[in-house]
Parts: sequence; structure tokens; C-alpha cells
Amino acid sequence: MTDDTQKTTHFGFTDIPETEKAGRVQGVFNSVASKYDVMNDAMSLGIHRVWKDAMMDWLAPRPGQRLLDVAGGTGDISFRFLKRAGRGHATVLDLTEPMLVEGRKRADAAAMAEQLDWVVGDAMALPFPDNSFDVYTISFGIRNVTRPQEALNEAFRVLKPGGRLMVLEFSQIPNDMMQKAYDLYSFNIIPRMGQMIAGDRDSYQYLVESIRKFPDQETFLGMLRAAGFGNAKYRNLSMGIACLHSGWKL
Amino acid sequence: MTEAETSPAAFDRRMLEALVCPATQNRLKYDAERQELISKGAGLAYPIREGIPVMLVDEARRIDD
Repeated sequence: MTDDTQKTTHFGFTDIPETEKAGRVQGVFNSVASKYDVMNDAMSLGIHRVWKDAMMDWLAPRPGQRLLDVAGGTGDISFRFLKRAGRGHATVLDLTEPMLVEGRKRADAAAMAEQLDWVVGDAMALPFPDNSFDVYTISFGIRNVTRPQEALNEAFRVLKPGGRLMVLEFSQIPNDMMQKAYDLYSFNIIPRMGQMIAGDRDSYQYLVESIRKFPDQETFLGMLRAAGFGNAKYRNLSMGIACLHSGWKL
Repeated sequence: MTEAETSPAAFDRRMLEALVCPATQNRLKYDAERQELISKGAGLAYPIREGIPVMLVDEARRIDD
């Protein structure tokens, strides 16, 4: 079960060698980059925006803060953060170059160009010194990381003392009946939507499988603590379809 | 070179202060001509493409010296 000790990992429901995961994930996001925002709206019926706003409500960005937005792709989180913080700086890091190129094209990116950096990098080996950032976010990204525990350890390293981590990710619905209804939707509808909107069924099949494979709320909370985060907590969103995890480098 | 520095896709030199080599966590040297970030310790040159530094060991060029 733990990715840390085994040489294979999951790519959706398929077991693959760990060394192949990053490339396969890059393949998915290279493929969907230009349609990524449209698809997010369609798949979640626009609710991903509500979740991202909920993330900002809990995070409460303050002027002058430095954000590292990992798997930040098209800039959704960074733009929100900077608008709320007013003054501040965001570094958007993603494993996939086309996602960043797509993000930099957006109107918000041009308006806030002075406050934004764009970097291709690996969440498990961040190209930043220790104690560099006030805030670390990863939104719908950590389940795509080969070894999520290593990403959390790196988050802890690059945060300043007093810095804060916040993770937004799909999660598990605690209610069995709701989970069944949700599975029915996600396994039947989402890959078809992917085919219709992005012309890419396989990538969206991967997305729904990877959601189901990701650790539940309590297990993931334990991983935050194992990385060193204090005052670690979570909040379910939409009954646990998604979840916010928060932790502090105390 | 002057054109590259004024275009929006140019590498922002201020980023040099924020970046380290992901393999060694040491500082990097900017090669403006080749558009690369050099990690002497690791013997790697990370490419900068359209102003975006690609800080992946797998994408870096090995330097022999």
C-alpha cells in the first residue's frame, strides 16, 4: 500500500514501475493542458471554483507573503492568492511545461506578471533553498506525485518556520451510498466528457481512477504529521468529494 | 540578446536568487547565451525554454569538464 517502500506505484488502477509514473503523468497533462480549465468546469459542474475559494478562505492570504504553488499548472490558485493578498509573490511550479505555458497566456497572468514566476520542477525535489516560502499550496496535484510523502517532506523543507501548507485534493466520501452514486458518475460520465470535450478518454479515465486510489482523509493527515507539520487538520468539501488539509511548520 | 531580455518570454534574472539545483541544492550560474542554468556541483545544465527554467534532472544536459 505505501508508495515509499515498494518499487511499483499506481497509475490509476494499473500498477506500474515507480520510474514510469512521472512520464505517464506528464503525458496526461501534456494531452489535456489546453482544455484543462474547460474540463474542470464540466466535470465538477463548476464546483472546483467554490472549492478553490474555500481554500483561500481558510488560507487567508496576507500582504507580502511568498507562495509556492506546486502543480500550479494554469495558475488558478496563484491568481486567487495574489488577488486576496494584494501585495505578494507567487511561484507556480509544475511538472508539465505545456500547463505553465497555458497559464502564462491567461489574462490574469499578464496583469500580475511582476508578481509571478513560472518554473518546471518536481514536487519531490524542489529547486528552492530551505525556508524560502510563507505558504505552500498544492491543488489537485498531490495524488499525481509518485511518492506523496516525499512531496510533503519537501514542502516542509522549503517553508519558512511559521509557514503553512494547504492541500486541496479529491478525497473519499465517508457515506457509502453517496460514494456509490459518486463512483457511478465519475466512472461513467467523466471519461465520456473527456472524450467529448478534450478528445481524450484515457487521460480522464486516469483522473477518476487516481482519485479513488488516493489515501482517505485520516491517512493523509497522518502523512502531514509524518512530514513534521504541526496543528494538522482537514475540512471536507462537498461531503468529502474533495478535502482541504492544513498544516504548519511550527 | 536585448530582444530576449525585453520580451515577456525572457528569463527573469531575479529568479536566479530563488532557485537552486534540485540535485545538490546549491546555487546556479546563468548562461545567457545558451539559456541554461548551470549547476557545477551536479555537472548539469538546466534548460530555460521560453523564459521558463526546466529544473528537472532528467531534462538537464550533462556537462563534461
